[in-house]
Order: sequence, then structure tokens, then C-alpha cells
Amino acid sequence: QVSELVQFLLVKDQKKIPIKRSDMKNIIHSGPAYSEILNRAGRILQEVFGLQLVEIGTKRHTYILINNLPRAEGEYLCRAKEKEKMGLLLVILSFIFMKGNSVKDGALWEFLNLLRVYPGKQHRVFGDVRKLVTEEFTRQKYLEITSIPLTDPPEFKYQWGPRAEKETSRKDVLNFVAKIQGKDPTFWASQYSEAEA
Amino acid sequence: ENREAMLNSKSNRLTEALEEANKLFDGVCRAREAALDAQFLVIASNIGKEKANELHSEMSAFDSTAFAEDLLTFMGINRTEVEETDDSEDVPGGFLPSDAWQTMGEEAPKYFRRAPTFHYMMGSFKSEPPVPKQRIERQKKANRGKAEQAMPAQLKKMEESHQEATEKEVERILRILQTHFENDPNTPISFFDFVIDPNSFAHTVENMFHVSFLIRDGLAKIKLDEDELPIIEPTKPSGRGEEDSRAGARNQVIISLDQREWK
Repeated sequence: QVSELVQFLLVKDQKKIPIKRSDMKNIIHSGPAYSEILNRAGRILQEVFGLQLVEIGTKRHTYILINNLPRAEGEYLCRAKEKEKMGLLLVILSFIFMKGNSVKDGALWEFLNLLRVYPGKQHRVFGDVRKLVTEEFTRQKYLEITSIPLTDPPEFKYQWGPRAEKETSRKDVLNFVAKIQGKDPTFWASQYSEAEA
Repeated sequence: ENREAMLNSKSNRLTEALEEANKLFDGVCRAREAALDAQFLVIASNIGKEKANELHSEMSAFDSTAFAEDLLTFMGINRTEVEETDDSEDVPGGFLPSDAWQTMGEEAPKYFRRAPTFHYMMGSFKSEPPVPKQRIERQKKANRGKAEQAMPAQLKKMEESHQEATEKEVERILRILQTHFENDPNTPISFFDFVIDPNSFAHTVENMFHVSFLIRDGLAKIKLDEDELPIIEPTKPSGRGEEDSRAGARNQVIISLDQREWK
């Protein structure tokens, strides 16, 4: 059962949507064995694949797989489409962080427009960008979108989602910004101190 | 409407708006206007709260416009050329190459600890349409020695399911049998002459298989002739009723044939 679960988790992780306990019920049934089997699966994932099974979010029994291996030099084995999406995601996460960990949707799209990315327009690479950002990235828990109360028309604020918190760090993102802008990370003092914390 | 403008910490527009609202309120004498004023206050206080928030988390000044420009540079924008698109109104000029986001895509994974996605290498079996078959069926001469050849049947594509294909085959064989009998009535064909394909054992077995359907459905019958060898002939369509009950004595015969015998 453990190896079945391992295989199941690996395949289910393809879309990067968090895996719920209810998803697993065909493989492991509730009961005292559940946590033991899950733990063992986690160990195998770590020892054989170098992947970490992490519980995330406010809902219990929801899991994602992240890479626990030290980052290797050289090419990242991944489809080009996935990499491009990660590029967009990194840009968005950087913007959110540098702007104080929370931005309004208007501000985010204003920024993305500068990069020739428009919510209403089909993008050559990303297609329906609005859908990608508001649906795919949020379902994968990279972004968290909450509505701002008492706004009419309704506005939303964007923050880092739990997967982003686990897969990257403010420090990494700050380094990215610094690299792009050709400055030292300490240039942005308060972001730097938050990232180092 | 001018929310962003009001939020700018450098602007006093919020204060100005509040002051204007105050002045306007002096002239209010109807309930509806008072309600509007109240609405305005709610919005204004929201904006005020947001402004306060921004002050509190006021990170070191981050110039997003500059960041955007640097990102474009990183992605390989060519600023000497002007992009010929219709959306170049308020967008900084320059030609963004088509691999711009690929460039970003090469850099981005370094910052994520993302689990590589797991895919099966070979995938599942793909069912391919069967190779078209050439079927040649030959019928040996009847006692008269007249040569008859069945038309080679060609299956261009086996689109039907196996079941339908079998039915078609059975039908075809029935027709061959009937055609022979039209030309040569009263001369049953030797069963073995009918089914054996001198070139293919497997095909022989297939023929027997198809013939068995005809027998089962009562469309043909096998009898023994004087030499105790089986002969096959199509059943007459007429006179079903009583004949059936009489000739309904269907016997099961198992014929075994192995390759040596066949040879």
C-alpha cells in the first residue's frame, strides 16, 4: 500500500494542485494505519526521490510535494511551458513581496501591463493570463487572492500562497530582484531585513 | 475612482476630498443627500485605512516601473526598434522577442524548490488499426471438376469491431456457398474442400470457425456423404416450419484438425 501511495502522490503532483486526504481514500483507508502509511510514503519520497511531503494551509490533511535536493547547476529538466509559467510567477511573487507582501489586483495588472501582459488580451505565450493567474496559480496555492470588503466594484488583494512560502523564500526572491536591477539586496533595507529574518 | 491616486502617500487628495465633503454637507437638507454623504464617509475611511496600512508596511521605496524596465531588458528587449502593434500607446517602445519569457523561464526555476513532475516514460499501449488483410479463399472443384474461384476479399480497414467483422465474414462465406449452389445445385461441396486453405493453416481454422456460425444459425448444414465424408450445403430458405422441428436435430460435432493432418 505504501508504494501504491507513493506512486499515486507522484502522479497526482503533476498538476501541482495540493493533494487532499480524500483524494487518497482509494489507496489508503481511514483508520489508525493512515498516518503510518503516510509517514512511510513520506520517508520513501525523501530517501528515494529527494522530495518532501509537506502539509500546507489551514485545512489539515492537504499536501504538496517539494524538492528537497540542493539546487543543481545546469539545466532544469522541465517542459518549456512550465518554465515560462514559473517565470511569470516569479515576477508576480517578487512584485508582491517588494510592495509589502500584499498588492491590489489593480496594481498588479498595472505592473504586468508594463511587461506587455494584459488581463483581457490573449497572450502569445500564456494564453488567458487572467485565468492563469487567478485560477491556476491560486489552485496550486502559489498565490492567495482575497476580496477586499466594502469595495464596489469588488477588489482583491494578492499575497503569497502557502506553496510559494514553501518552494521559495523572500530571500531568494529579493536576490532575483537585485540581480535583475543590478543592485545589492541591501539596497532595499526593510525588504532585506524581512528576508533575513 | 481615483483610488490609486488618493492612496499615494504623497498626495493630500483624500484630505481635500474630505474637506470638500464637509463643505457640501452644510448645504444638505434632504435625507437622500445625507445618505450619499454617509456612503462617501465609508469609502473615505476605507481609503484612509489603506493609506495607513501602506505607511505601516512601507517598504523601502521600490520602483516598480524601473523593475519592469529591467525585466524587459533581461528578457532581451530591443529598444532601438519600435514594435508595430496597436498597443504601443502607453507602453514603452521596443521590440520584445518571442523567446522573452523563455529567457525568464531559464532563470526562474533556480528560485523554486519545485518537485519535478513524474511522467511515465513510454505511456500506455496505443491500439493501432490492424494491418489490412488480403484474403483469398479458394474453392476446390465439385465432383464435376469445375473450377470456381472466390474473389479475393480485401479488407481495407478494419473499422468495425471484431464482432461485426466476424458477422461480415460469415455472411460472405454464406454467399459464396450459395453462389456455388446456384451455379451447381444438388452438388454439395466437400466440407474440407470448402474450408481448407492450402496455403494457410490459420486461415483454414478461421474458415471453419465462420462456417460453424452458419451451421449454428441453421443457414447451412453438414451431412455425411456416401464416403462418410462431410459435405456442406446451404439450407433452403423455404419450408421452415415442420422441417425445422424434424431437421432440428442439430448435432454438435467437434472437428479436430492439427497442422499435420492439414498438410
